[in-house]
Amino acid sequence: MKFLRSTLGYMIAGMVVMTVWDGFVGPYGIVGGFFAAFIIIGPMWFMNHYVGLIDNPDEFAFVDMAVGIGITGIFRDIFMKGMGEFVASVPTLLLVILGAVIGGLVAAAIEKDMEKKHQPADDEPGPGYNNKK
Amino acid sequence: MTIGQAIATVFGGFLFPFMIRMAWGKMVEEWGPIGGWMCAAFIVGTVWAINHGLQNPMITQSGGVWIDMAVAAGVGVYVASVARGGKVKGSLINLGAALVGGVLGGLLLSFFL
Repeated sequence: MKFLRSTLGYMIAGMVVMTVWDGFVGPYGIVGGFFAAFIIIGPMWFMNHYVGLIDNPDEFAFVDMAVGIGITGIFRDIFMKGMGEFVASVPTLLLVILGAVIGGLVAAAIEKDMEKKHQPADDEPGPGYNNKK
Repeated sequence: MTIGQAIATVFGGFLFPFMIRMAWGKMVEEWGPIGGWMCAAFIVGTVWAINHGLQNPMITQSGGVWIDMAVAAGVGVYVASVARGGKVKGSLINLGAALVGGVLGGLLLSFFL
């Protein structure tokens, strides 16, 4: 059941993004794309991650619905245009993944650094504090 | 694809998961579900504009198969989550579901597009 739930979540998000988004960008350009982000990602995120159609317990690594969206886009074009076109797209795929890995590691490192700052300051006076008075 | 475009593509992939990881959780914490909708517009929408929306976008597509910045979000958020102690083994079921869902979704789309 968990697998089915998650599969449905990734599949619906991927299918809607990979059709409706282009539909808005066609006639309305960049404004259409921005609007598409709001009306597609908003409800999809709400259903998949806020309500929890995709079951992702806190202790497990987080598999965002974006994984489903990305894979849907790739396979839509593989089924429609063939493997040859996919081979031509591999450079972009690898570069994007490289950037994403760096981005994830840097973000995690920065989060750790931010948490350090939030530790409460030491409110006990240090040794020798009372002697100075 | 030129060297310059390749470097820009790497940074486009960097930008999206980085912003999600930095701001999304905090916005939901502060504003509840409305925060998620704000992120959908102002992280996804705005970063989409630079990565895909511009006439010369930051992510250069080298072939005919669309590499969406969602790939970057998925990989980057996953890597960050693992780096912060998320267990890989338990996430495999969702990774499998994403693969099955993605292939099925792509197949369904190819029937009518």
